[in-house]
Amino acid sequence: MMHILDEIRERFGAEWQNEQRPDLLQIGVQAKTIVPLLTWLKAHTPFVQLTHLSAVDWIEDGEFQLTYLLTDPKAHVSLMVCTRIDREQAEAESIHALWPQAVTYEQEINEMFGIHFPGSPRQGVPFILEGWNDIPPMRRDFDTVAYMNSHHPSRPGREHTDPRAYIGKVFGERGYLHDDD
Amino acid sequence: MDNKPKSTLPVLVEPPKGAQPHGPLGHGYFLGETKRQQALPMRESLAKIKNWFRANSLWVMAYGTGCGGIELRPLTTARFDFERFGMAMRPTPRQSNVIIISGYLAVKSLKRVIRAYEQMPSPKWVVGLGSCTINGGMYWDSYNTINRLDLYVPVDIYIAGCMPRPEALLAGFGELMKMIKRGEANGWNHYLENFDWYKENQKKVINDWNMPDYNW
Repeated sequence: MMHILDEIRERFGAEWQNEQRPDLLQIGVQAKTIVPLLTWLKAHTPFVQLTHLSAVDWIEDGEFQLTYLLTDPKAHVSLMVCTRIDREQAEAESIHALWPQAVTYEQEINEMFGIHFPGSPRQGVPFILEGWNDIPPMRRDFDTVAYMNSHHPSRPGREHTDPRAYIGKVFGERGYLHDDD
Repeated sequence: MDNKPKSTLPVLVEPPKGAQPHGPLGHGYFLGETKRQQALPMRESLAKIKNWFRANSLWVMAYGTGCGGIELRPLTTARFDFERFGMAMRPTPRQSNVIIISGYLAVKSLKRVIRAYEQMPSPKWVVGLGSCTINGGMYWDSYNTINRLDLYVPVDIYIAGCMPRPEALLAGFGELMKMIKRGEANGWNHYLENFDWYKENQKKVINDWNMPDYNW
């Protein structure tokens, strides 16, 4: 039997692949192959369960990464299918027809990252935030400290210590205590 | 004419001073009670008895907002057993007179807390549990948690720590009972006297305000 990653690469093409642990495989594919690939995985392989769908903001590359975590529930092996989408035109195909629970993941990613999944039922419906009127808070260009300073006042008297400077002051330049110290 | 640009910064002022002082031993305004009725002298001994009863039947609303909620459960069980002090958990705000803000408070939860607090019958007390209620704690720069609880609801006593253990909670409740007996735990009066100030602060952070506006 061909290894699952090789078979995916042969059928759908892959940008990279990695076997992080025996029970955790990773593969990076083009965004346009996501729906055919996941359909094929659900129909023809043991990876039938959508465990998670998450997003990462790669602001330096101008891209979002979407990670679809599929699980083989009998062998307890997980497969991470990763794809990159454009950060400006943040849109990805919805997979709610394959797994209904993807609706919730897509709703949350839509709220927290501003990625749009056309056709997914609850896009734009508030999920965790209420009355949010700034850019989506999980985008890395959202300045959370500035937001807090302008919206939620602190009690006077709070001191801030830069961790790097403080550790350098206490433990020396090395930043940690050695046995010889 | 004031040409200064309108700042979006919240106004960092203390609640207005000079409001009518509450009664000598903590009996304050009830709903519909006017200040004139309030001014009628109440015998101190009767007030003391009332406060003694109040202090010994603190009914806590079973509502946990943050991780501190986990420290409340042991209080109800055999080891710490706060029922020996006349305290009990109650399922609804209408049946309770103490609300504990247990740790970080998201803006979404703040809305529920305000709604619950306003439904609780007076006299009522707020306990701020953990560093998060004092100045944000470790979530001070989180995008969706408030930093100072006392801007939105009147806090009678803070229990510092991250998290305070059940012993610390019991000590805090003991202190609250003493304050009630002395007539010092008057946050609920403060809320009514400075109602506009609290409402202004609340509406600054809650953007989709869809709750009723009471006119106490």
